[in-house]
This record gives sequence, C-alpha cells and structure tokens, in this order.
Amino acid sequence: MTVARTFPARLEALADLVAFTADAFGQEGVALNLLKTVDFVLEELFTNVVKYGSRASTAPASVQIELRAIPGGIEVGLTAYGVDDFDVTQAPQVDTSLPIEQRRPGGLGLHLIRRLVDSIEYQYPVSQMQSRVTFRKTSA
Amino acid sequence: MLKIGFGPQGAVVIEGRLDAAQAAAAQSFLDTVSGRTTLDCTALEYISSAGLGVLLKTQKRLRASAGQLQLTGVNRHVHDIFRYAGFDQIFEISAAA
Repeated sequence: MTVARTFPARLEALADLVAFTADAFGQEGVALNLLKTVDFVLEELFTNVVKYGSRASTAPASVQIELRAIPGGIEVGLTAYGVDDFDVTQAPQVDTSLPIEQRRPGGLGLHLIRRLVDSIEYQYPVSQMQSRVTFRKTSA
Repeated sequence: MLKIGFGPQGAVVIEGRLDAAQAAAAQSFLDTVSGRTTLDCTALEYISSAGLGVLLKTQKRLRASAGQLQLTGVNRHVHDIFRYAGFDQIFEISAAA
C-alpha cells in the first residue's frame, strides 16, 4: 500500500510533513531507525522546491509525498508540481574535507542525501512542468 | 519543536529538531554567544543542512575571535550527519553517553 499526501511548497508545511512521515512509518510498519534519515532527505528535497521551485511561475508550487514499504525499508516519491527542471541527483559535490575558512554555505544538503540513501532517481516530464524524485532507503 | 537557551552550567542547551523552519531562531540565539562555548546536544533529536549551516556560521564567527563552539552529547544520527558533512574536522564533538 502507498500512503500519500500533498503539501503546499512553503516552509511552514515542514512540521506537517514530519508528522505525516512518522504516521506513514507506523501505518506501513517500516523500521523506525530509518525515520530520521528519511526525514532528512525529504526535508532537503522539499526545501529545495520551496527555495527554487519555479522562476517562471508566480503560482505556488505543491509537493506530493508518497511512501511505500519495501523489503527491509521504504521507497519514497516526491512529486513537485509547477516547478522548473533541476536534477537534484546531479547537484555539485561538496568537498567536506576543506578547512572551515574555505567552507561555504549551500549545496551540502543535496550532497549529503546521495550518501544517505540506497538509490535516488530524478525525472522531469517537460510538458507537465513537474519533477519527480524517487529514493529508497533500507536497513542494509 | 526547538528550544535553545543557557543551561545551569553555562552551556547552551538545544532541544528538539534543528530544521529549516527553526534555523533562523537558532541562529538568532547563537549570534549572541562569544568565546569558548559548549553546545549541549543531548536532547537534539535531528539536524538538517539548514541546522548545519547555523553551526558552521557560528563556528566561523567564534574562531575569528579565538573562540570555539564545542558540541557535546551528540546522538548517533546527528553524529553521522556531522561526520558525513566533515564537521568532525572543524568541531570538537563528543558523543552521547
């Protein structure tokens, strides 16, 4: 079974998103030790839509989150409506070994999610102006 | 959601979730600290990249005046995030007991 809900692409929706994810883990019987990692990845993807969703449209974007249990973990889909094409899987790497004087803000979240998940895929059907990110996280 | 303030021992105590929605409040408080400061993370459940940015900005400011931010009581999840972000090389970090 898939549990899904749509959120406005606003920072204020983050608390509802976190509550939804926790509920979905319970409904789907997913191991709770994966919850914070999934929260982290979802927050980075969600806030990316909030910050950079669409330069062309003045209409607020919305984001649908879907969660589905898979063997040993969870598959999560995030579909953002009314957004520009931005492949989060191709975001630049961040050199986390740099000394503090050379560290700059930005980009760290998208860099980290690639380390945290088992797999992540991005799709953007141009005609629909919507992006879809699917990622999987298991305990393995 | 997030609480931040001075504890009885003088350390800054942070509790809850340091996410994008709470980062501005945390930054506002940490902008007031100076010198060698301990951030007690025992009750910090979660941190996102927005929270990492708050800590990095604070550490840069403190180091510029010979100060430092030390992170104590860090739970396993938060510690993993710190390590992946390379924060173990720019902060003194001690894990939760």
